[in-house]
Amino acid sequence: MKKYWLIFRLSWQNALTYRLNFVMWRVRSIIGFLASYLFWLAIVNSNQNIAGYNPSLLLTYIFVSAFLRNLVLSNVSYGACVEIAGGDLSNYLIKPLGYFKYWLTRDLADKALNLSFFSVEIIIFYLILKPQIVLTQHLWLFLAISFLAALLYFFLSFLISTYAFWHPEHNGWPFRFLFIMLLDFLSGSSIPLDIFPPQIVKIFQVLPFSYLVFYPNQIWLNRVNTNQIINIFLITSFWLIAFYLIFRLVWRRGLKNYSAYGR
Amino acid sequence: MKLKRYLIYWLKTSELTFESLIADKLSSTLFISGKLLRFGFMLGFLLAIKEKIKLVSGYNIDQLVIFFLIYNLFDLVGQLFYRGVYWFRSDILSGDLDFKLVKPINPLFQILTSHTDWLDIPQLFIVVVILIIRLPHVAWQNVLVFSLLSLISMLILTAVHIFVAALGVITTEVDHTIWIFRSLSGMAQVPIDIYSPSVRGFLTFVIPIGLIFTFPAKALYGLLTLALIFWTIGFALVFYYLSLKFWYYSLKTYASASS
Repeated sequence: MKKYWLIFRLSWQNALTYRLNFVMWRVRSIIGFLASYLFWLAIVNSNQNIAGYNPSLLLTYIFVSAFLRNLVLSNVSYGACVEIAGGDLSNYLIKPLGYFKYWLTRDLADKALNLSFFSVEIIIFYLILKPQIVLTQHLWLFLAISFLAALLYFFLSFLISTYAFWHPEHNGWPFRFLFIMLLDFLSGSSIPLDIFPPQIVKIFQVLPFSYLVFYPNQIWLNRVNTNQIINIFLITSFWLIAFYLIFRLVWRRGLKNYSAYGR
Repeated sequence: MKLKRYLIYWLKTSELTFESLIADKLSSTLFISGKLLRFGFMLGFLLAIKEKIKLVSGYNIDQLVIFFLIYNLFDLVGQLFYRGVYWFRSDILSGDLDFKLVKPINPLFQILTSHTDWLDIPQLFIVVVILIIRLPHVAWQNVLVFSLLSLISMLILTAVHIFVAALGVITTEVDHTIWIFRSLSGMAQVPIDIYSPSVRGFLTFVIPIGLIFTFPAKALYGLLTLALIFWTIGFALVFYYLSLKFWYYSLKTYASASS
């Protein structure tokens, strides 16, 4: 446990050593949030009700999405992809260190760092923008589902990294690029998914992406009843276990295929 | 003669980039699929809300779609030609910029055009086709102004990439700068008129995203006054001049580290 705590601290030190890099990353994050917020603000200024969302619900959705982006979707474990592709994985395989736990720790450190900065930023923007925020009646359930969603995203992301075992070209980035494009939209991080026609929403419901941002957001907004909340928890847990098992299987096969290119 | 040399250089580097792309077909297919999905999702979203939203700051959804398509047009052309700036950071860190500085071709030209992004061509083709299909009847005067502002738009886009390259030389930071610009330019997927006056002012006078993406589209609808057209041309010329000045200043700070 001590060594992972050390990794956690080193991750923070590493991020804060390259301060300009970190500041620029935060600026990008803020711009992403502002772009989304201002776009929806313009829409709600001209339309008071969009698919059951009044202005305060919609703007709260954007604020909560920003939080979930920092908690769930912020992730550094894509670095595993680079290490597999470049052969650096070998360095870790011979160390008394769990590679999976190593990246989980680094991911947790990154999320903690992002969230600490995000907390200050969001308070500032709340004071400047003064939106009418809808408060949740299910704070603990929201935090619990957000934690599960973060874990689900970690498994998903790590699974994507294993692509580099078979295709190390471009550090395995092409497959991740496709994944990010899908995730950006299907997670509902900038667009509430239930704005789409019901037939399309049904497709979103069976995909794991919507359980990363959209459904946790629905819990915050009090837009789901008790039965639906139970369903959300069950489906998220199902995807979590499924991706964990798939990841273990693919990882074992990937290691057999691993030839430490570049070493 | 000089122009011919530049053309040959560009064709050669573009050919090499193309060869590297077809050498790894799976990666290229994944990249193209990702780009098409991103485009398709946003277009699908705009069409999905058509029934639910009447107007956004005076624009109907059909008009927003045209603005979105024109945004894509300029964004893709910019990436197609200037993708090289995304590779520039490694040149500064390794000192490989030295090799570009000593060649008898403008180093800026080499940096910006070193990786013609052929993977943008399929999406560009789709954007142009949809634009032709969906564009309402446009007066020839508006097409003329649109063509002129398209050139101006490219000039500003070039200047932005020069600024990013120059900042890269000074700070060794390129990736985040260009991505910040890309994130900001994403705000022009819709006309910048929908934002508050302060945001609109920022996107017009500070980071001229509105001039690059929104103004040409507004010209198509005849929504620009003559004064605004002249102002845009003047701004573009000054902005381009300043970017070159900044580039030459940045070169003075270049330490050729690691070379």
